[in-house]
Amino acid sequence: MYRRLLASLLRWTLRLDVGINRVYPADFNPLYYTGGLSNLFLTILILSGLFLFFYYVPSYNEAYTTVQYISERVPYGQIIRGIHRYSADGFVIVILLHFFRNWFTERFRFSRDEPWISGMMLLVFAGFIGVTGYVLVWDQRAELLVVMTGNALAAVPAVGGWLRNLLFGGPGLTNLLLPRMLFLHVGPAVLLYVLLWWHYVRLRHPKVWPPAVWTLFSLGVVLLLSGLIPAASQPQASPTTPPRALAVDWLFLLPYVSLKYLTPLWLIVLATVIIVYGLYIPYQLPETRAEMGLRESGIAQVIDANCTGCELCYYDCPYNAIVMAPSPHPGVTKAAQARKLLAIVLESRCVECGICIGACPFEALELPHFLEQDVEAKVLAACRS
Amino acid sequence: MTGVDNDRAAAYGMWIALLSLVSLVCVIGIAWAELTSPGHPGHRLLGGGLIGVVLLAYSFILLFLRKGGFTGV
Repeated sequence: MYRRLLASLLRWTLRLDVGINRVYPADFNPLYYTGGLSNLFLTILILSGLFLFFYYVPSYNEAYTTVQYISERVPYGQIIRGIHRYSADGFVIVILLHFFRNWFTERFRFSRDEPWISGMMLLVFAGFIGVTGYVLVWDQRAELLVVMTGNALAAVPAVGGWLRNLLFGGPGLTNLLLPRMLFLHVGPAVLLYVLLWWHYVRLRHPKVWPPAVWTLFSLGVVLLLSGLIPAASQPQASPTTPPRALAVDWLFLLPYVSLKYLTPLWLIVLATVIIVYGLYIPYQLPETRAEMGLRESGIAQVIDANCTGCELCYYDCPYNAIVMAPSPHPGVTKAAQARKLLAIVLESRCVECGICIGACPFEALELPHFLEQDVEAKVLAACRS
Repeated sequence: MTGVDNDRAAAYGMWIALLSLVSLVCVIGIAWAELTSPGHPGHRLLGGGLIGVVLLAYSFILLFLRKGGFTGV
């Protein structure tokens, strides 16, 4: 059932690709750059966030007024605030697109489970950072968010009170709340870059930046929205007049809306199930080649005598499974005699895909259980039949 | 280039010229908004929005340069 659903979703994803490729040149297709677009929005967020950080004071008396000061008195402060606000939306949208695209195209198989797991963590952290950002403004919505989060955490058995105290500095509105929120807004943003490193470490050619067309387009949309629909605060938070209605941002505050229908405990259970399922996705389908009905090709082997150290296999391996080391001795063939480097396959990373075999023009690599002459014989036999 | 290619290039060329004109108007608007902003803080919002329009126009100019066959493969 799941297998059939995934196959169907893959077909629709590819149809969408084909449709977009009719409008845009294939190397401009935005769906190929959802990861790069995430990086672009993250960079905009960091830069605009640094600007806002210079003015922001995390205290009950000054948080709201400093945000108003930025918006009303600092030249282009309202625009920068809008850029920060709408880039956050853009960040979450492209991360979700990236998530669904890689899910539907099964780009979590073999050694890509690490980018998947780190990507899930990036998604969760991005959502968390977004919510803390809403609290920092310290308007009525922020106050309501704090109350609702506190109630939800208090519903967690055993550790709920401890979690609430850790997050807010104690029950109710404490003086530690806004400094902690500021730390939790900025600290995880730094952690995002650590997760990004983990996200990329096993990928040879990650598209870390979108083409200029999409960089300009994304910046343009963010700036245009900042000018047309300026980011605005609600009235200042006041303990004497607690807010009753939540002004909803559907991207970041959806869990809070669901509190209308779910008890806090059920919301936390549901969120935990969704996150755990997201982390489990790479292991849901058969993992081994035998289970998938694929032939065991064997770990790629370098034929020492033929390797010229040209690095083509090193650059083509999508799994970072080939490294180049100084050659201890010359090769045997004429082309390999002057080599300075030798390709080495890292067994733990090789997924036996054979891409390196196709990359090597010197017949210096082979899959031991799937030799080139076997493939040629099969192709010839198929052609003859 | 074939006749069809020439027609396509001419059509995209027209769009590029139009977008360039829009960009120029926007740049004048940005300068005006900045110059008049001391008495009208809201003009900076207009200026910021117009910077967005210029960037959007540039992104489409890049796209049309490519689709019209002026740049790239």
